Amino acid sequence: MSPNPIGIRVEQLAQALAERIVSLVLEAIDIDALIDRVDVDKVIDRVDVEKVIDRVDVEKIIDRVDVQKIIDRVDINAIVDKVDIDALVEQTELGSIIARSTTGVLTEILDVIRAQGVGLDDFILRWGNRLVGRGGRVAGWPDGPPLLIEPKSATQ
Amino acid sequence: MTTVPVPAAEMTVGRQGHYAGAVSRLVAFAADVGASWGVYTLGVALLNAAVKLVTGHSYTLSNHQILALIVLWFWEFVYFAYQWAVSGKTVGMAVFGLQVVTTAGAPISGRQAVLRTVGLGLTLLTLGIGFLGIVFQRERRALDDFIAGTAVVYDWDARAARLRWMARQEGPLHRGPSHRDRGPA
Repeated sequence: MSPNPIGIRVEQLAQALAERIVSLVLEAIDIDALIDRVDVDKVIDRVDVEKVIDRVDVEKIIDRVDVQKIIDRVDINAIVDKVDIDALVEQTELGSIIARSTTGVLTEILDVIRAQGVGLDDFILRWGNRLVGRGGRVAGWPDGPPLLIEPKSATQ
Repeated sequence: MTTVPVPAAEMTVGRQGHYAGAVSRLVAFAADVGASWGVYTLGVALLNAAVKLVTGHSYTLSNHQILALIVLWFWEFVYFAYQWAVSGKTVGMAVFGLQVVTTAGAPISGRQAVLRTVGLGLTLLTLGIGFLGIVFQRERRALDDFIAGTAVVYDWDARAARLRWMARQEGPLHRGPSHRDRGPA
């Protein structure tokens, strides 16, 4: 800065003048029009993304994220309930993959035999108890041992 | 392509852990009797061959009927007790998807396996009356179950079985217009 008082005043005047001019110029400029004229793709091409990425400390960002908090906020049961697994299997080739990779015809025959056995079990139970006159009451019987099956009252 | 008929959904899905009924248990027991007798017969044949090879004399266990009966009973005892003690299921039960558990649903102990085997013998002596509990008792327990404090449940993953059956339909490309009509309810 100049030690001369006249010089100081001239500098102040120049400063004030410059500020006023810049303000007037900025007011006169149409920023939107200016942006429209900028070729953004060209600018992006000039940016060295690799260099930017190198400067980002990803580890630090990850450390700041509380993953457990995110997981806690996700209701997985609600998501699973929304998924129609049967429809999914029908619509995709997943079914064929499962079939080819995990089972043979023998396993499927076994599945059917077991399922038919379950059906006959139910039939015998139903008719056996109907014969002794307590058909309706059988419905209230437990489905299985308490450790394996939830009590009926808990599920209803 | 030949397809196996699909069982209804209510028969296949969500039955794991439920008390097993009379037919499944009877068929599994018959399979076990067949398997154990088959192994016994094979064992006796091998024993005869070994004796003949070593001594040069022919020996047939069935010529000593009391001894053969004792060996058979002992073998049957080992067959059932050992398998129940180790895994809670015999070969026949594994094939038909059954498992022996405690009345609460936990794995059975070796003592319970032995008691159940003894109980099975006693139940057979009742000429079938001891098995009536499978149909008429609320936990489908036969006399041998009461003696050992056990129950029999379905052990196979029926949901996986249902998915396997659906998979057999060869995916969407091979589905005809009647697919949904044929499908499980």
